[in-house]
Amino acid sequence: MHPVVVTGLGPVSSVGIGRPEFKQSLLAGRSGIGPIESFDTRGFPYVNGGEVTGFEPQALLERIEPAHWGRSALFAAAGARLAVRDGGLDLDRVDAGRAAAVIGTTSGESQVVERITAQLVAGGFPAADAALFGQAPAGRLAHAVSAELGLCGESMTLATACSASNYALGYAHDLIATGQADVALAGGADSVCRWAHAGFYRLGALTADACAPFDRDRSGILTGEGGAVLLLESAGHAAARGAHVYAELLGYGVNCDARHMVAPDAPTIAACMRMAHRHAGIKPDDVDYICAHGTGTPANDSVEATAVRDVFGAAPPPMSSIKSMLGHTMGAASGFGAIASALAIADGFLPPTINWRTADESLEGIDPVPNQARPAAVRVVQNNGFAFGGNNAIAILGAVT
Amino acid sequence: MTGTVITGFGVLSAAAVGAGPLVAAVAPIGHGAAAAPPTTAVDWYAEPLPAPAAAVVEGLDFTALLGRKGTSTFDRATGLAVVACGQALSDSGLAVSDETRQRIGITLGTTLGSLRSTSDFSRETLVQDKPYLVNPMLFPNTVMNCAAGQAAIRFGLKGVNATVAGGALGFLGALRYSTNALRAGYADAVLTGSVEEYTPHSAWAAHHAPGAVPGVPTGEGAAVCVVERAEAARAAGRHVDAEVLAATAGFAAAADAWPDALAGCVRRALAAAGAAPAQVTLVVTADPAEITAVAAALDGSRCQTLAVREVFGECQAASGALQAATVLAVHRGDPARDGQLALVTGHTPDGAVGAALLRGWSR
Repeated sequence: MHPVVVTGLGPVSSVGIGRPEFKQSLLAGRSGIGPIESFDTRGFPYVNGGEVTGFEPQALLERIEPAHWGRSALFAAAGARLAVRDGGLDLDRVDAGRAAAVIGTTSGESQVVERITAQLVAGGFPAADAALFGQAPAGRLAHAVSAELGLCGESMTLATACSASNYALGYAHDLIATGQADVALAGGADSVCRWAHAGFYRLGALTADACAPFDRDRSGILTGEGGAVLLLESAGHAAARGAHVYAELLGYGVNCDARHMVAPDAPTIAACMRMAHRHAGIKPDDVDYICAHGTGTPANDSVEATAVRDVFGAAPPPMSSIKSMLGHTMGAASGFGAIASALAIADGFLPPTINWRTADESLEGIDPVPNQARPAAVRVVQNNGFAFGGNNAIAILGAVT
Repeated sequence: MTGTVITGFGVLSAAAVGAGPLVAAVAPIGHGAAAAPPTTAVDWYAEPLPAPAAAVVEGLDFTALLGRKGTSTFDRATGLAVVACGQALSDSGLAVSDETRQRIGITLGTTLGSLRSTSDFSRETLVQDKPYLVNPMLFPNTVMNCAAGQAAIRFGLKGVNATVAGGALGFLGALRYSTNALRAGYADAVLTGSVEEYTPHSAWAAHHAPGAVPGVPTGEGAAVCVVERAEAARAAGRHVDAEVLAATAGFAAAADAWPDALAGCVRRALAAAGAAPAQVTLVVTADPAEITAVAAALDGSRCQTLAVREVFGECQAASGALQAATVLAVHRGDPARDGQLALVTGHTPDGAVGAALLRGWSR
């Protein structure tokens, strides 16, 4: 088996586009939340979200034509392009047939589907724009990455909802570990859309202004968006070109609640953590930091804390939620978590949970790294991802020894 | 070699519902007869349809098939997938118990989940008095992993649960995902399939798709295979329908270069299996245009070729699993083919390609 290392980071986020700005935002505890602009929020009680307001795909992309792709595909392709630049990878020196793209998503090209829907409401099916149907398939998220970078290996989109980036990282890990690929761009992408905003509101899972995970008075998520892509290479490939290595992707766990479509299940999540540890070859004591799923709903944070205490005991490692800054970026969420995890290891800090005010007695033992980033020696990170459909996926990253 | 085998399958399609009926339906095709998808006049949607008839699964009643409990929110795609999963479990004889359920997973291919469910939910935000007056019970149906998640709940399958959005390549991606999960030790068996529903939304999507051919009816369906490690299946005494010798994937350097990329996939599959082109006796493609590319990779060796839409209509994301089911059904009904090799291929308009090489057996 070939060790798999992270050599490039490509965040396209509401708190920064590109690794330097994203890292500064994590260190500063900057919020990317603001009034939603991508759809008309009139009539919605809550109007805030985490949009990537400064996203100009044509300024980032070199090969694909933005007009031919939906917003989520452009997030994915831009994130991948940034990851390649960050990693200093010369694509002309990569065996294209051994370079894969694996992208996770919740809602794919949701804004394209919403444009189709608006046309249906206005004029019915025969009037709808045929070209939009061609942009809607979610498989195009990975294809945009492959086309942008000229990769000829597998191009797979994993639609496992809000843990999808961890699924993508796991599958890409195995492609490299088993020698099927030298290089993979892996992560996730999603776009803010009306239907998700409405759906989470009606589930009672949306909050008004600030997402406050692990706070006693937490009241829900804010929908967010972006692209989060990591450049993965076999350790040998990275070493041969003298690449800077942020971290090693040690392994992952995946399982399914098989109980409820939207409510998470603590025992199954705990089992997923143990599976991830086993596959990564670590023990709970080795984990220095947990990059939480941390959606900020009362129930989800409680379930996550219960599972963590089951696996780690009464004093688990610090566990923060970057969703407090980004909102819930859906299929990109665990990709942003993985980028934050790699930075935590490489640069020695814990990203904070912002908007945190009051300890929740029922979350005793949980250290959410409140409000201020914290310097720390971080050797192993557990990056949590949970999802609708009970699709749990947890990735483990570690310092390179 | 992937070390994995298929020990049973389920199928719902216009041509047949259930493994046994599919074996009967494809037997003449296996002997060279031309196929034609049976079509029905679709009269149960209010919206206009691009064509009056389609290759639909007739008389679907999910409440009758699955009962009321937990099924009231199912959309057509979810219902098709859940029924196909149940058929596959029965056909294989794979037992789900508290001892095994942690180690049995599901991987399904799709294009974007249920476009109808998603678009209808989005529509409510535009047409209701208040934009948030959506039905929260239907929110999970907008997420692409709905079918796989509901199937896991239905059968209590707690192993790895994945959804691959790959359109016509959805099944081949799912098969690669599943074989990897088995190899890496995440599961002992993975129900692997793909699904497409017939709705006005999917019909218009098919109508507008690049490469849509007038006269080919739009179809729907689902097929699911039980994929498991060869030694586990044999130890349990389950019948092996097919060995999954190889599953390969790639992406063309330019979208219109997909035939070369597909030929490369086929060559790599043969190489991985240590097989010669002449051993391949059946090729089932997603699109008839793939046949030329596959023939190039087989060095002109003669074999039977079939485009799956000729049997089931244009079934979009379901086509890959229906291709595999066709291979399994042809082999199940024809002992003379035992041990022969079959190829399943697919591609997307953007240039993604994939191939699977199966060795089939009769039952």
